[in-house]
Amino acid sequence: MLIQDNLFLTRSNPSGLGGTQFLYRVKNYGLSAISGPQEEISMIHWEVEVIKFSNPETAEYEVCHSTELADKTLKFYTDKSLNEFLQKAFQYFEELGSLEKILPQES
Amino acid sequence: MANVKGAAVNRNAVDEGKAADWVPGSERQTAVDPMKMFHELPREKQFITGSEAARESMRRANIDIAIAYPITPQSESMQQAGYLYDEGYIKEYYRGEEEIGTFSAISGASRAGVRSLTATSGPGLMRGLEAISSWPGARTPIIMLNMCRVINTPLAIQPDNIEMSFMLNTGILMLHAENQQDFYDYPLAAIMASEQVDVTLPAVVSTDGFFVTHARGPVSITPEEYKLPPRDGWRSAVPAMDNENPPARLSRDAPIQKSNFISYHMHSSWQQEVFAAVGRSAKYFDKYLGGLVEVVNPGADDFIIASGCAVSQAREAVRQEGEKGRKVGLVKVKTIRPFPTEEILEAVKDAKRILIPEFNQAGWLHKEVCSVLYGRCKAIIKDGPRVFGGMTMPTEMILEWLEEFRKEVK
Repeated sequence: MLIQDNLFLTRSNPSGLGGTQFLYRVKNYGLSAISGPQEEISMIHWEVEVIKFSNPETAEYEVCHSTELADKTLKFYTDKSLNEFLQKAFQYFEELGSLEKILPQES
Repeated sequence: MANVKGAAVNRNAVDEGKAADWVPGSERQTAVDPMKMFHELPREKQFITGSEAARESMRRANIDIAIAYPITPQSESMQQAGYLYDEGYIKEYYRGEEEIGTFSAISGASRAGVRSLTATSGPGLMRGLEAISSWPGARTPIIMLNMCRVINTPLAIQPDNIEMSFMLNTGILMLHAENQQDFYDYPLAAIMASEQVDVTLPAVVSTDGFFVTHARGPVSITPEEYKLPPRDGWRSAVPAMDNENPPARLSRDAPIQKSNFISYHMHSSWQQEVFAAVGRSAKYFDKYLGGLVEVVNPGADDFIIASGCAVSQAREAVRQEGEKGRKVGLVKVKTIRPFPTEEILEAVKDAKRILIPEFNQAGWLHKEVCSVLYGRCKAIIKDGPRVFGGMTMPTEMILEWLEEFRKEVK
């Protein structure tokens, strides 16, 4: 089971392909983790995107491939490895959020 | 050689490579009141596939015998059932030669008074439909898991629940699971409802294959040391039969099959009783499942009525509409038979627009809803969106239909 910290929303995969999507949120950034159906249970994995929320209150977001965390869709084959990544990502988003607060003041 | 302690059949632990003092898993479980299992026992959340959820349901179902023939996407679940047999949670289990044989054999097992489970998918269900149609009249409380799949040419193994429409008028109890959680809960509830003395009917729990069976979702499950109480074959509308000493020539010369007025009358009465029993099962599903329907946002102008995994997509559409400040209602239909006529009427009595998304071409749920709401509800009912043959139903599709619907019906 994935960690519940910063879990913003759990829903069925909105693409309609089946499976579950977990949306994590830290400030304006977050992660989308989708576990979809596979023909063999052993092939089931997580597809993870770094995302940037476009609305402070809703689940609207855009995929973000411009952070240091990931420039592509990531795959994780165990909950354990994804949970480790989540912890690191949360810390990164906290720092990123703080930096983004500073940046407008400098400009 | 040590026999398996406490097992109802003559399994030999040592021959199976187990320790001589091996105890079947079911013998280590405690039978509990169903209401306690459904509503009071603590639950642990796991993230598992629908097939694994079915396995955990079967583990707690106190099943005496399972018979199945493999077909995609059902095979994964019945492979899991094989593990349960190995662990001693299912007392007897074998692979039938094909579906007609499988569903005939499971009928014999159920007539003998034991809790009997089978499973299939689309084409397998169609092949065995002759036998399935005989179950309700024989008053056999068989539990069948049905992982829906395309049935027609061209061949496909993707989800499409058209096969459910073929069972609507057989007299079988029908539940439609939305997700992995339902595929854990519904079989347990279906078993207990189907075995009530004033019901004594088979039950099928359907779910949409692959989207649920082969994908992981959150499932809250009860501790595995608890199981349902065993079936009492004598507490039944039609008493269990001693198959070693059958009371008569079983079916060929039964009075009900003689060609005269009396026999037709008997058959008619028998069918009426079967369908009355379907109606009587509602009170059990009501208490086991907490209602035959789930209603979200009562009192809304716009409603979506759905069953199966169309509910999940509709649920997300309702949530997204809520983010935009628009209230859309949702009726999740849990039981297809008995059909929750009054519950649906109550939920949508003030609605203006009703949308019915489905994963099949025929729109069987739309027809069901129309037949019960006709003349009793002012709402305009729209049949769609429908996807089939394995197509997906993105949330956006439902949202677009809702938007168009609002333009069409002010």
